[in-house]
Amino acid sequence: MIELLDFYADWCGPCKMMTPVVSEFKKAHPEIKVRQINIDEEEELAEKFKVMNIPCVVVLKEGEEVAREVGVLPLRKLEKLCTI
Amino acid sequence: MYDIIIIGAGIAGMTAGIYASRAGKTVLILEGKMHGGQIINTSVIENWPGDYGVSGPDLMNKIYNQAIELGVKIEYEEVLEITRKPEYATTEDAADEIRQLWSIKTDDGDYSAKAVIIATGTEPRKLSKKQTEEAGERPISYCATCDGAFYKGKPVVVIGSGNTAKHEIKYLEGIASEVLHIHHDDPIPEQAEAIFVAIGRIPTTAVFKNLVDLDANGYIVAKEDCKTSTPGLFAAGDCRTKTIRQLITAAADGATAAEAAIDFLA
Repeated sequence: MIELLDFYADWCGPCKMMTPVVSEFKKAHPEIKVRQINIDEEEELAEKFKVMNIPCVVVLKEGEEVAREVGVLPLRKLEKLCTI
Repeated sequence: MYDIIIIGAGIAGMTAGIYASRAGKTVLILEGKMHGGQIINTSVIENWPGDYGVSGPDLMNKIYNQAIELGVKIEYEEVLEITRKPEYATTEDAADEIRQLWSIKTDDGDYSAKAVIIATGTEPRKLSKKQTEEAGERPISYCATCDGAFYKGKPVVVIGSGNTAKHEIKYLEGIASEVLHIHHDDPIPEQAEAIFVAIGRIPTTAVFKNLVDLDANGYIVAKEDCKTSTPGLFAAGDCRTKTIRQLITAAADGATAAEAAIDFLA
């Protein structure tokens, strides 16, 4: 199973550019579990994945990290990242 | 084939797209990262008329929707090479020579256009090799408003001496336990847990260096008319030689470059 973790924060401007992308991604890929993680509310998860720059997306396959990208991504690049 | 290909989807490129599309031209914007450009890092804009206090992301999402609505197409591909198709470049007739067709190779495809607008903007100047080594395992950030909050109560260092560095220091002072400040080439203090880099910006123009004249700093030489040294190639926004690099002057360039390209195609 592929999972997509999208780390963001309300104070992070560029993260706002990801919001419409992630919504579109969810619609197009119901087979991928998407979790949007507010790093202020789920600090321990951000720490666990050593997220130090946001926006940051992490792709998990069977619970193992297989890809990661920091910075804002358009839909197509996000899809590419998930085709592992 | 497109009438006009625009490279870069910041405000200059998007504005050029809007103008060219409204003039009935077929337009493609190629963007290597994400549409929006540099302004998406700004949370409050107070000098954009008509939308006081708007955030960079909100403004650029609006402009993106407007461009798409008006028929502009965007592909998220990085431009690797741009060449002139030789069959269209005749040396016999100077008038014909400027009617070249441009061939653009990206990381995912090939495109051609009758005119090209370069609106690639600038990017942060990267930390030197020496300082990167000194940083070691410590995180390096080019955006305090993105990453500052990770260092609540921790000591950080800001590298740089310009306005951006001052802005980053001010922002981080409200978060970090201590904000150290060093200049471009100083050694990185050991106690800093993260390194914030603000040592200026450089134009994203390397791909074009054999096609158009660049100034000593790498900016594309073009006056207010946005015409470069090469007919059919136009430069708009922060990548062009100019004195004031602001959101609104970039938008103005977009309009000017689009009109110049439309005129070239006539």
